[in-house]
Amino acid sequence: METITLALSKGRIFEETVPLLAAAGITPACDPEASRQLIIPTNLPHVRLLIVRATDVPTYVQYGGADLGIAGKDVLLEHGGEGLYQLLDLGIAQCRLCVAVPRTFDYAQAVRLGSRIRVATKYLKSARAHFAAKGVHVDLIKLYGSMELAPLVGLADAIVDLVSTGATLRANGLVEVETIAAISSRLVVNQAALKVKRALLQPLIDVFEEKSRDRIAQ
Amino acid sequence: MTLWTVPDHFRDELPPAAERLETLRRQWLDRLRGHGYQLVAPPLIEYLDALTVGSGRDLAERTFQVVDPLTGKPVAVRPDMTPQIARIDAHLLNRSGVTRLCYAGPVAHARPANLFAVREPWQLGAELYGHSGVEADCEVARLLLCLLAEAGLEAVRLECAHMAIFRVLTRGWCEADAETLFTLLRAKDRADLQRFLAGRELPAEVRAALLWLPHAYGGEEVLAEARRRLPDWPEIAAALTQLTALAKALAAEGAAVGFDLADLRGYHYHTGVMFAAFAPGSAAAVALGGRYDGMGAAFGRARPATGFSIDLRAVVTLLPLSPLPGAILAPALGADAPAKQRTALVERVAALRAAGEVVVDELPGHPRESWFEAGCTRQLVWERGAWHVVPFAE
Repeated sequence: METITLALSKGRIFEETVPLLAAAGITPACDPEASRQLIIPTNLPHVRLLIVRATDVPTYVQYGGADLGIAGKDVLLEHGGEGLYQLLDLGIAQCRLCVAVPRTFDYAQAVRLGSRIRVATKYLKSARAHFAAKGVHVDLIKLYGSMELAPLVGLADAIVDLVSTGATLRANGLVEVETIAAISSRLVVNQAALKVKRALLQPLIDVFEEKSRDRIAQ
Repeated sequence: MTLWTVPDHFRDELPPAAERLETLRRQWLDRLRGHGYQLVAPPLIEYLDALTVGSGRDLAERTFQVVDPLTGKPVAVRPDMTPQIARIDAHLLNRSGVTRLCYAGPVAHARPANLFAVREPWQLGAELYGHSGVEADCEVARLLLCLLAEAGLEAVRLECAHMAIFRVLTRGWCEADAETLFTLLRAKDRADLQRFLAGRELPAEVRAALLWLPHAYGGEEVLAEARRRLPDWPEIAAALTQLTALAKALAAEGAAVGFDLADLRGYHYHTGVMFAAFAPGSAAAVALGGRYDGMGAAFGRARPATGFSIDLRAVVTLLPLSPLPGAILAPALGADAPAKQRTALVERVAALRAAGEVVVDELPGHPRESWFEAGCTRQLVWERGAWHVVPFAE
């Protein structure tokens, strides 16, 4: 029997996807937070969920480990999106990719002077493209988390990171100076799967589209 | 570095995979010859500019480049053989009528196309020059399906698109915007497409058409819907008529055909009908083809051109692994063996080889296990005055 495999990450994306799945008549057999299982069956025998790290979702979908996946636009920008269809903006996990600097750092002045700016980020590709388009020279420092710390200890002049409410930035004395991209979660689909298994996948995609349209309209 | 490793994304082909590849290559080239496709063999290395004709920056970045020590000119290992075949048709053969050519050989990519890809695909293809009608596209698409079926690939699906629809909808656009749109359509990124178009002055019918394209995939019903949703322009009508003709020709063969009007590729290259073959088990297309009428112009003579190419290595990995028949071990006879026995052995071995069997000559002094490693499952045994093929006893 042909199956559907959907890759997604634990936490917020999983929680916000559950109602979308419910609308399609799909109920996960267990909560990934409570289980160590990485493949979660559902009430439908031919549908299963793959629990992977957010940054790995595009890779699993690109190489057919999963037919569909839910990944943030931030992750897709870094991955490049090669070999994927980014069919839907699900309107979940909305935030933005920003440049932020310490309140005491005059970013506009540094850019005007043509300074070389040290930027700490997890998003090397997006950051490189953004500063290259502006014509600003940067030294990129790859970090894996707690980016806000880097400027505070003199490791960087600025950071490129996701900002949702801005509370973490404020708590660490940083201000947002530029928005690079609006981020939300996308439904990505393996290109071959959309063609070979279209009859199976399309109804699910249609339900997701309808539900996310309602959500974005709200 | 250890001397027995090879660079990343390069690979040795070992027995029996190498044999499968070669068998398939021969079988396919024979089939193409039967359809009048004449074999050509262009060089592995050419001038860089000639290899990257019509491919833009993208392919240039994927190309192994060196400076020719003989002349100081930049040359490259071919990343794709199609421009070489177009060059041969345009400027070497100079035929005025229809020219059908086929080819097979390795190409090299400076970067792997994806994580699983080898940087040295073995490309095999067929190109048809000199006919601009859709009959030529139908012929090459049918031929592609015939080759894939013959190789034993099952449930292949051909997905078709048409470059003219994109070209005519973006007529007058600047290159950068057209390329951005191309990328968004390729990814079917409906959300970002909407944002991108929101900031542009566009005729309403063009905007509606572009917003619909990422939804334009499915069966033949897509073409009917396209007639309603796309502007009623002669170029678009012609493109849809060609796709309908292609669908009809392929359906007559019992092929599974789909349409995906946003499935664009070869921005600097394709001009008309395009198709991609998908097989279950592969996360990417196994073969690509389509029309590229403009390429010959760079070689001095623009010619209608269509064709396809397949990565042999990618196809072979999808085929079921039927075991190859085992070889037969012919014993090494001692100096004291009777002449009759010796002559009979020579004759029997020759007859077996003529019948297509693999017969391995034993060399003295090696344990029997070593002949298993060499692929022998049977041996020749002298019994009742004749040589008999018998399985190796357990």
